[in-house]
Amino acid sequence: MQGRIELKGRCYDVSVYGRSPGQRIQIGDGLPQAAVLNRLDSGEWEIQLGGQRAKAWLQVKGETVYIRAFGQTFTLSVVNPVEQAALGPGGSRRRAIAPMPGVVVDTHVAEGDTITKGQLMLTIESMKILTAIKAPLNGRVAKLHFTTGQSFDKGAVLVALGPEDK
Amino acid sequence: MLMNKIKKVLIANRGEIACRIIRTLKRLDIAAVVVYHSLDADSPAVAMAGEALKIDGPTPVAAYLDIDGMVAACKATGADAVHPGFGFLAENAEFAKRLGQAGVTFIGPSPGNIELMGNKIRARSFCMENKFPLSPSVTEDDRGEPFVQQAGKLGVPLLIKAAAGGGGKGMQIVRAPDDLEAAVQIAKTEALRAFGSDRIYAERYEETPRHIEVQIMADHYGQVLHLGERECSLQRRFQKIIEESPAPGLERDLRERMCALAVEIARRSEYRNAGTVEFLLSPDGNFYFLEMNTRIQVEHPVTEMVTGIDLVEMQIRIAQGEPLALRQDDIETTGHAIELRICAEDPQNDFMPTTGGLLSYSLPQGDGVRIDHGLAQGMAITPAFDSMLAKMIAHGQNREEAIQRIKKAINATWILGVTTNADYLARLVAHPDYAAGRIHTGFIPRHHGDLQPPDLSVDQRNLLLAAAALGSDEIANPEFEVKEPYASIGMWRN
Repeated sequence: MQGRIELKGRCYDVSVYGRSPGQRIQIGDGLPQAAVLNRLDSGEWEIQLGGQRAKAWLQVKGETVYIRAFGQTFTLSVVNPVEQAALGPGGSRRRAIAPMPGVVVDTHVAEGDTITKGQLMLTIESMKILTAIKAPLNGRVAKLHFTTGQSFDKGAVLVALGPEDK
Repeated sequence: MLMNKIKKVLIANRGEIACRIIRTLKRLDIAAVVVYHSLDADSPAVAMAGEALKIDGPTPVAAYLDIDGMVAACKATGADAVHPGFGFLAENAEFAKRLGQAGVTFIGPSPGNIELMGNKIRARSFCMENKFPLSPSVTEDDRGEPFVQQAGKLGVPLLIKAAAGGGGKGMQIVRAPDDLEAAVQIAKTEALRAFGSDRIYAERYEETPRHIEVQIMADHYGQVLHLGERECSLQRRFQKIIEESPAPGLERDLRERMCALAVEIARRSEYRNAGTVEFLLSPDGNFYFLEMNTRIQVEHPVTEMVTGIDLVEMQIRIAQGEPLALRQDDIETTGHAIELRICAEDPQNDFMPTTGGLLSYSLPQGDGVRIDHGLAQGMAITPAFDSMLAKMIAHGQNREEAIQRIKKAINATWILGVTTNADYLARLVAHPDYAAGRIHTGFIPRHHGDLQPPDLSVDQRNLLLAAAALGSDEIANPEFEVKEPYASIGMWRN
């Protein structure tokens, strides 16, 4: 697993290798370290990472992890990559949907352009992360709902794609 | 006044204060009815009360403000009295009047008391007529020059307030004369939106005064008691977050003069039942009438902890026509009590209210610590109601012990699922100036830097990230892996 976690307004790349209980975690460019999360009898959790350990109260809801540790309460967001839209029946309706509010920082295609699978369409910034929106398949840009500088809400359709041969 | 024993009380409120009133009713063997909006259907108050009646309105708050609905609820349930708690209809003279007409006892002051003291401009005129000390102020009703010009003559800094106000709404600080006109406009707009009246007044603003209030109890036979003072200077957004009794370092003579003046104000206004007279204590030792609250206060538990008196019980006894059983000399205070208001708000974002769900929480009590709350696990914290979640009150033999106990309790408190001010409160009570009793209404802005959360070490940060990475997988097992079709199109920026 590889993901990105936001803590106190900053994002960190976090990779988890292996399966419990032999997992290793890599944070940013650091070296992977052995990591264990144990439930204690009190209901508290104990987290161990390399030689460090701490007790914490912990709750998870959706992509948000609430942690009480070190005398403070933290809200961490486990950021998923862009939830690009599922393909509709017959492949005629295809959309890229914003997973969270953000802003378009670069537009790489124009309406009517023919595109190939994997081609870069937009660069967006959400929660301080830049994400490339790539074409999910061969086709044509039917509608660019947002262009550079425009902001969007969670769930907004960013790009609609049409069939290639039109 | 005839004795008229109360048999069944309808609580026109919700949350922690509803639970707190029910506890006293149970002890006195009086039946309790709560009214509730559907958002509160699973609340502890509904579970605790012997009877619960659903009410409705265009908004959840409107349901608790519906006078006709409340009167009908009394009829439907056979309640012979209403306790309004605080907020909502607690200081609504019309409500008290309508209940009287329906033959239902309002557990609180008379409609006339509320009309006189509930409106800040009227209360100030009353104090002026009676030569009670008031800070320099002008109201919109003063004759002669336009309000802005008269207010300008008071000199800056100025505080603009709503006549019908409370809870910090409709208040504007003016520090430069050029800002006055705009501030008056904003205050009027806010006051109209929040209270349905745009009447305002201006008073001289002090940067570091103390806010000290006196608890009053008056019966129907002209007896008035005070139950000592409460220090309420620690405020953010003009709202209290820490209260204590007695006020630290207050000289005996000054305390006696404040309490005597509060009693005199209650006597002259022919006040009855529970009330609070709020004073502003200037650094030069002068004090001024600020306002009177014609209800039980949020912070009443600190008075209960030091006097050993149940204020809600006293309210009920007065309302059913009993004379006060105590004389002033019978009231003794023991030790020191401190209350923290735990709120769903973000101290890192100017104390703005937050929302979420109460996934889990722990509010330790015992060992001199009392918790008043109306929380239940899984409860949604919505913007529909006030942001206060719970009150934590600690009692000790002296202020040092009370601080020790409240520190221990707030440090052991955790609330997950909604951002709260609990950690911030822990830092506040640990501040050396708080321990030294150097407190005033400017405390929070002045110590802003000291009250920020400490930085995390790299090790602490990495432990949190690891806990989140493993926890999100193990506990909730979300779809964290990038799966098809996402894998082909989404990417992590490495």
